[in-house]
Amino acid sequence: MSGQHPTRPEDFDLFALGALDADEKQAIETHVATCAECAQKLAEAQGRMAILAFAAPRVEPSSGVKEQLMRQLHATAEGPGGSLARKQREPANGTSSRWWAVLVPIASAFALATILLWLHNEQLTRQLTDLRETVQQQEQQLEESRHMVELMAARDTQVVSLAVQKGQPEGAARVVYNQREGMMMYDGALPPAPPNKSYQLWLVPMKGAPISAGVLITTNGTPSHMMMKLPEGVAAKAFAITLEPAGGMPQPTGPMVLVGPVS
Amino acid sequence: MTGEKQADLKSSDAMLVARIVERDESALAALYDRYAGMLSSVLNRILRDTQAAEEILQDIFYQLWRTAPQFDATRGSLPGWLLVIARNRAISRLRRHNPASGDELVENTVVVPTNLENAIAQDQLIVRVKHALESLPQEQRAAIELAYFEGLTHSEIALRTGDPLGTVKTRLRSAVETLKRNLPI
Repeated sequence: MSGQHPTRPEDFDLFALGALDADEKQAIETHVATCAECAQKLAEAQGRMAILAFAAPRVEPSSGVKEQLMRQLHATAEGPGGSLARKQREPANGTSSRWWAVLVPIASAFALATILLWLHNEQLTRQLTDLRETVQQQEQQLEESRHMVELMAARDTQVVSLAVQKGQPEGAARVVYNQREGMMMYDGALPPAPPNKSYQLWLVPMKGAPISAGVLITTNGTPSHMMMKLPEGVAAKAFAITLEPAGGMPQPTGPMVLVGPVS
Repeated sequence: MTGEKQADLKSSDAMLVARIVERDESALAALYDRYAGMLSSVLNRILRDTQAAEEILQDIFYQLWRTAPQFDATRGSLPGWLLVIARNRAISRLRRHNPASGDELVENTVVVPTNLENAIAQDQLIVRVKHALESLPQEQRAAIELAYFEGLTHSEIALRTGDPLGTVKTRLRSAVETLKRNLPI
């Protein structure tokens, strides 16, 4: 084994954080290369520090990134450039110049045909991918609808309408809750949250502190719905929507916007 | 809500990686839907440059596509790996170092016992991590953020803030001890 075990357990976290200076970092790198126990501790520290990323404000990538990524996968598959490039690298093997006069136009025509075929194939592949995605989206919507219908049909499912509180902006929301399965569906239309704020939905249990059901996605007053999973078997006294700092809070801190008691 | 397909929602990361090895593009798309928002957030926080963040994001998933056969799901957590790689690359870009080649996909082992395979778990972790950081004294929190989001070492933080090196080391050590107690892993 190279070197001593780090003297303090936090050394692994400081390494994962990137805070150690070069000499301290080198000592740990050398040691863990030959010490399985410390390598495991370092892997755990890497995970612990990695989740600090969740403190970053949520930023979704533009849809173009995924499209470019998928195009990049296709581009690396065998395309016309690869085979053409290989053909161009092949030696002439002493063929006389008059053969070139015949072969070059043929090769050019062949290359052009290959490119046209490849482009056509690309177009068909894109159409097929679009169709496949449409079918999958419809299947997903169907599956979600099926879940909703099952939830609504269950005898022990509760439907709770939430009422706007005095002084709060107009909005409407409804919660469908099944205590046995811990399944909840939110259905509502809320105005956009103010800058740096999020709407958060809470289950207020018969006993104990409110349980977060998640941060709501608002779409400028357009009705939206979300399925949520909560702990099973929690009896609800009420449901409430509060306005919290962006990303939500572990417990409600902001004003109640809508509330609905469970009858 | 992401565009992840219903069937893929039920697939574990390991199952999706196995399908990537078989060259199933929809599996890569599903992992992208699952983790792109998480990675995009940290890349934008570090770089404060949307275009650079999106270039790295695309590159990370392309590396995953290329090196998936070398990924051993039993050795660590995929989102943990992705987060470590994203942060390393963003900080390299920030400091104008050469970007990594992608070998780190197989070199790093990162254990994240929390399951991050669904959006609800990720939302809950956001709340917990923010709460854990907010519970730190201001100067400890600032030191952690300088190290994590700007990639500064003890000495560089001391230089940046003008605080003695020993003070910076003590702050970071205390902050890490508190986070170890308060974070959900």
